[in-house]
Amino acid sequence: MTTRRTREFFARGAPTHAPSRAGIVAAIVRKDLTTFGRDRLWMILTPFALLIFVGIYWLMPPRVDETLVVGVHPPAMAAALKLAMGVAQDDPALTVVPFADVEAMAAAVADADAVPEGLERPLVGISLPLDLLLRARLGQPATATVYVGINVPDEVRGVMATAVREVAATAAGAPLPVALTSDDVIVLGTDRTGEQIAARERMRPLMAFVVLLTESLALASLVSVEVSQRTASALLATPARTVDVLVAKGLVGTLLAFSQALILLVATRAFGPTWPVLLVAVLLGAMMMAGIGMLTGAAGHDFIGTLFYGMGFLLVLMVPAIGVLFPGSAAAWVQVIPSYGLVEAMVGSSVYGLGFADLAGPLLAAAGWVVVVFMLGWWALGRKLVQT
Amino acid sequence: MAAPAIEVDGARFAYGANEVVKGVSFQVAPGEVLGFLGPNGAGKSTTIRMLTGQLKPSAGEVRVLGRDVHKERSQVMGRVGVSFEEKNLYPMMTAEENLRFFARLYGVAHPDAHIRSLLDQVGLAARGRDRVAGYSKGMRQRLMIARALVHDPDVLLLDEPTDGLDPVSAEAVRDVIRARVAAGNAVLLTTHDMHEADELSHRVAFLNAGTVHALDTPENLKLAHGQRLVKVRVRDGEGIREESVPLDDAQAGARIQALVDGGDVVTIHTAEATLEDVFLGMTGRGLA
Repeated sequence: MTTRRTREFFARGAPTHAPSRAGIVAAIVRKDLTTFGRDRLWMILTPFALLIFVGIYWLMPPRVDETLVVGVHPPAMAAALKLAMGVAQDDPALTVVPFADVEAMAAAVADADAVPEGLERPLVGISLPLDLLLRARLGQPATATVYVGINVPDEVRGVMATAVREVAATAAGAPLPVALTSDDVIVLGTDRTGEQIAARERMRPLMAFVVLLTESLALASLVSVEVSQRTASALLATPARTVDVLVAKGLVGTLLAFSQALILLVATRAFGPTWPVLLVAVLLGAMMMAGIGMLTGAAGHDFIGTLFYGMGFLLVLMVPAIGVLFPGSAAAWVQVIPSYGLVEAMVGSSVYGLGFADLAGPLLAAAGWVVVVFMLGWWALGRKLVQT
Repeated sequence: MAAPAIEVDGARFAYGANEVVKGVSFQVAPGEVLGFLGPNGAGKSTTIRMLTGQLKPSAGEVRVLGRDVHKERSQVMGRVGVSFEEKNLYPMMTAEENLRFFARLYGVAHPDAHIRSLLDQVGLAARGRDRVAGYSKGMRQRLMIARALVHDPDVLLLDEPTDGLDPVSAEAVRDVIRARVAAGNAVLLTTHDMHEADELSHRVAFLNAGTVHALDTPENLKLAHGQRLVKVRVRDGEGIREESVPLDDAQAGARIQALVDGGDVVTIHTAEATLEDVFLGMTGRGLA
């Protein structure tokens, strides 16, 4: 705030007028953006990272393939298998590909090139003995073989083994003594059958976080250069105060991180009906990264030092986003990581279309962490500037 | 006498338990250059940082243009130009951009013509649009001077302003300083160049171990603490012998006459103490 007394004081000097605090902050922001724009490292890294992430997103399949393709030998057992698995004959969820030859089926499971023309590649191949029905009725043991590819998860292997046993039991006229409800399965929450979240959607928060953190490193680099080259001393020998420098650095860091993350999210069509929630989450993330940039910039004596501290934060803050990528992998303690609320809000809004009411908890937690991290960065950089 | 532009009165400052400035006092009037001399670690930079408001004295007062620097830092710094010893410019920006940025911080209205004039004064007009990263040490030093003058200040704090400059460039910078002094600027000049301090300073303050050991005009200091000599070189057999005769000695005239009458005088010249001699004599240590 410029007071009348200040204006009068400056009026005595010939070419100057009292610079407003906003004018000083704006000048520092402008200078920082100019400096950033001339740093080859960041000017290559930033668009490159964006391009790579957007490219990866659009190259990945847009939806999850929920169809299970099973090869069966002999062909006559195909209908029995569907029946045993409780799937209607015309249900696309399970495609049974009949094979007349066991070797051909095993080869098709192992190698996509070995799949006979016109047939789908089976994920699993089940070879049943030709006399299965007869043996089952006579109560004699029969041997079946299940072929699985190397990428087939354990749970699918288990399901296939169970299905074979059930086929045999049904064939023997002794169906399993279990009664299911008419709906078979009661889904708690939103039934996402046919609407599974694609891997690229799950990757989006991780990508956004890496972009945000990259920009926090850019700010840290600007800060450490300002300190190591002692230009901060020159700044503070003008009417600019420490608080002006801190406000400017906070603005630059937030602006850089927010704009880059925004570009990524727009380019990957992340903004759905609840876009304001996502916008708030990204803004909070950008502010958090600005705090981290100030903190690491003050801690590192040079670019390598800054990178070292920055990578430390990056690895920790990425954990919740990695947890989204691999559902069920995250332990409970992940919830105390500062970025957890941000990731929750980003995923909730962009993937599930949740609004402010649903995401108030994660957003409030994130806002709390933003205050803590930003104040830490503010304090560390302020201390460093005074010591410079 | 005009009110002092710079007043430091009993200023003290300590980094933790290490007190580096121990009650320093001096004043600089408008249109005056005060040479601020002392060895490394004497407390010169700390005193300058107190004058720029970056450090708060633990005791005493630091005032510029009648205002407490710490309490009214933003206002005071708008009237002070600082040239640091380290060339802390923005290397990725051009000289013009560096000056424009600082002009904005000082609130200079329409600075472009003023910036061109300053660059011309320090001999950088042709390189004003080049990035500072490509500048030599001397060019950076000249740009530092231009930056200190970008807002037409009343007070200049110059730390080694001719460091790294060739003799011609150094003289050009000294001319700029003389012009500013003639226009009424108060200048606090820190330098290791005793010849420069002697030439530019109206008064000199010797700082050592955080205290001012002497503060006076260079002439008075040399008279008070140095010796005026006449050095006579005479032939002595195959070689040459030099004899120094202190002018303050009552027998000086007779002794010089005797040497001249001896007939083998090669040269006679006067020698006065330098500021470095004075400082050495006062503190027992050099300025490095």
